[in-house]
Amino acid sequence: MSIYITGYGVISSIGNNVDELFTSLKAKKTGIRQGEKAFTTRYKVGEIAFSDAELHDHFQLKTEGSRTALLGMIAAKEAFVGHELRSDIRTGLISGTSVGGMDVSEREYANYLNNTTHNLQAYGHHSSGTSSAQIAQELGVTDFVNTISTACSSAANAIMMGARMIQKGWLDRVIVGGTDSLTSFTISGFRSLMIFDEEWCRPFDETRKGLNLGEGAGFIVLESAKSMEKTGKQPIGRLSGWSNASDAYHQTASSPDGEGAILSMQQALDVAQLSPESIDYVNAHGTATPNNDLSESKAFLHIFKGKVPPFSSTKAFTGHTLAASGGIEAVISLLSIQHGMLFPNLNHTQVIAETGLQPVTEVISNVKVNHVLSNSFGFGGNNSTIIISAV
Amino acid sequence: MYYIHTIASITHQDSFQQANVWNTLTPLTPESTLITPDYKLFIPPAALRRLSPILRMAIAAAKSCQENNEDKIDAISIGTALGCLTDTEKFLVTFHSAQSDTLSPTAFIQSTHNTIGGQISLDLKNHSYNMTHTQNGLSFEVALMDAILCADDGKKAVLVGAADEAIGFLKQLQPDIIQDNRELTSGTTCCILSRERKASSIGIVDCLVRAETSDWQTDISDFLDRNETKIADIDAVFVSQLEDVKYVDHAVCYIDYTGLYYSASAFAVHMAYDKLTHTNAKTALIINRVCGNQLGAILLQKDEAPH
Amino acid sequence: MSNLREELKAQIIEQLNLEDLTPSDIVNDGPLFGDEGLGLDSIDALEFIVLLDTHYGIKVPDPNAAREIFHSVESLASYIEKTKA
Repeated sequence: MSIYITGYGVISSIGNNVDELFTSLKAKKTGIRQGEKAFTTRYKVGEIAFSDAELHDHFQLKTEGSRTALLGMIAAKEAFVGHELRSDIRTGLISGTSVGGMDVSEREYANYLNNTTHNLQAYGHHSSGTSSAQIAQELGVTDFVNTISTACSSAANAIMMGARMIQKGWLDRVIVGGTDSLTSFTISGFRSLMIFDEEWCRPFDETRKGLNLGEGAGFIVLESAKSMEKTGKQPIGRLSGWSNASDAYHQTASSPDGEGAILSMQQALDVAQLSPESIDYVNAHGTATPNNDLSESKAFLHIFKGKVPPFSSTKAFTGHTLAASGGIEAVISLLSIQHGMLFPNLNHTQVIAETGLQPVTEVISNVKVNHVLSNSFGFGGNNSTIIISAV
Repeated sequence: MYYIHTIASITHQDSFQQANVWNTLTPLTPESTLITPDYKLFIPPAALRRLSPILRMAIAAAKSCQENNEDKIDAISIGTALGCLTDTEKFLVTFHSAQSDTLSPTAFIQSTHNTIGGQISLDLKNHSYNMTHTQNGLSFEVALMDAILCADDGKKAVLVGAADEAIGFLKQLQPDIIQDNRELTSGTTCCILSRERKASSIGIVDCLVRAETSDWQTDISDFLDRNETKIADIDAVFVSQLEDVKYVDHAVCYIDYTGLYYSASAFAVHMAYDKLTHTNAKTALIINRVCGNQLGAILLQKDEAPH
Repeated sequence: MSNLREELKAQIIEQLNLEDLTPSDIVNDGPLFGDEGLGLDSIDALEFIVLLDTHYGIKVPDPNAAREIFHSVESLASYIEKTKA
């Protein structure tokens, strides 16, 4: 059964919607700059300029929520523009998030530790499930709501779960993706892991030192053919392959040979019934940590038998948006297919000596892009691959 | 039908690796505590030293399932409502009160929800599909739906489970945020299921998840309709809410035995499994309304058809 | 100076939650990392950085560059002595 994609929406530091994201990608304009919040000033981050209140007003949101939920509402609503809820189409929402309402909880918990006013109501936003419920409420979705929380592969896994639910016949249409706001919790966490680059991150570069974090949300709408007959929507792409596999190597690091990455890419190709040669572009996980990029590069060499297709990491545009990244990168993959374009891996000057793999470093236009493979790898050795194809 | 081949729970009951928990259930008292095995028998010391209570109990339960199951686990689906709260709180304290520039990373690393599934994969050296679902009171049910999808994909040994841990801080959130005054507890249940009937003839027939219900009794009736049965014909009914016992006179409130954690319906599956195994009961229904307007339902059955 | 080594052992046990060990179980020049040693891993290397910072005010910017320093209690102690001298 084919799974069609009939909508997409995004918010990130390179734009408040799909058009703005596309414009930034074409202009090679990064959204990463020195942080402006108390907890981000020390680092270069892909921060969205709006405050929570400004997000609420600017995007005319009806529902209250954590910043994670607000960003999710904005991207999910854009994805669902032109769609409507109706009783004969079972519609679900599956969102990936790693922090949920932590942005609210961590502020309140600081008050608690400092013995100042402790507003317990704030924790009502905390749970990841609640952030998805808030997004669903904004959209009016009540049939099915679920949250996947597998760290940085969450959105890719939410996309995969949605496709499988449509195949099973449990849903006709599902809004899938992920959202994460920047929090002091994650900034401090990645600081404790010592994997920040205090300069601009350089994915797949020999001199890469670490990542820049970002925030945002990306969602797509998946639909069955039967549902499209009723809605009259035209597909912008197909979700043709997906897989998740465990690296089972280390809680945070990737295995040196990319075993989990190889498994997830191979199994996704199997689901799509595609050979590796048919992949026209790879949107890599490419966080710019020394460990990820080497491991992922080795996995590419293995899967593509040395003939690695054009690839890039777009995280030097957006920063690593954690649970949202697979959703944002699904939108970028769709733009690649729609416009026949490949988007560059910014800040790249020197290939990794051990693998010699050269990513795409300029905007490339007028290419036929039929199949895009997109990787998302998370803590816990959680490796996911989705394949998006032209209709 | 999705047969349950083995099931393991760590709860406030003496439930771990017991042949029949149904026989020994006792309602929680204020003195009840989590009854844990000697974790050193299940987890190597190098790993154990870092693990918080939720990780220890979930890994031990998963490992027990793998040891009791012939086939290697080929998919993992875990549900957790609030995830690794001990490490989450620990890291909040760490970075909010840090005096120096360096921060201990261990609590951060282990604070993500999928540390549970990730550590299970690490411990079992298991490379299969590994998913973590979190949807408040329905976290186990959505994990179960994913497990059913995996079984339909032909997986032969799907580990499906749930785990949640209580921390002292949570008590402050009752009753305003956690709108339920029952004792907050911890617990985990893992089981292995597939479509293949083996030694066990007990399985899950269907699972219902409603993000919001306005009339739960009608939703349950519709759920039973689609499975061609009705409430009066169900031998054992397990409910999360004490007041729902009136809905069917022979219903048991499972939270009386687990205490309150949002994924406790997983232990209700264990209760139902043992009841179906050791008594004449042939069908069981779990009705989960533990959180707000969410509704979950799980229908189990003992398969009497000749094999 | 052997006090520093004993002090370090106690701090290592505490920082890394090595609850089953006592200081006497740790040999001064025995390897801390890998299966032949105490079985410590890259997360422990980060914990060593925290330990050196909080107890000795020593900043180690890169855990990978510090592998030799973290080899044993002896190498850690020598590094501390050298840095503090």
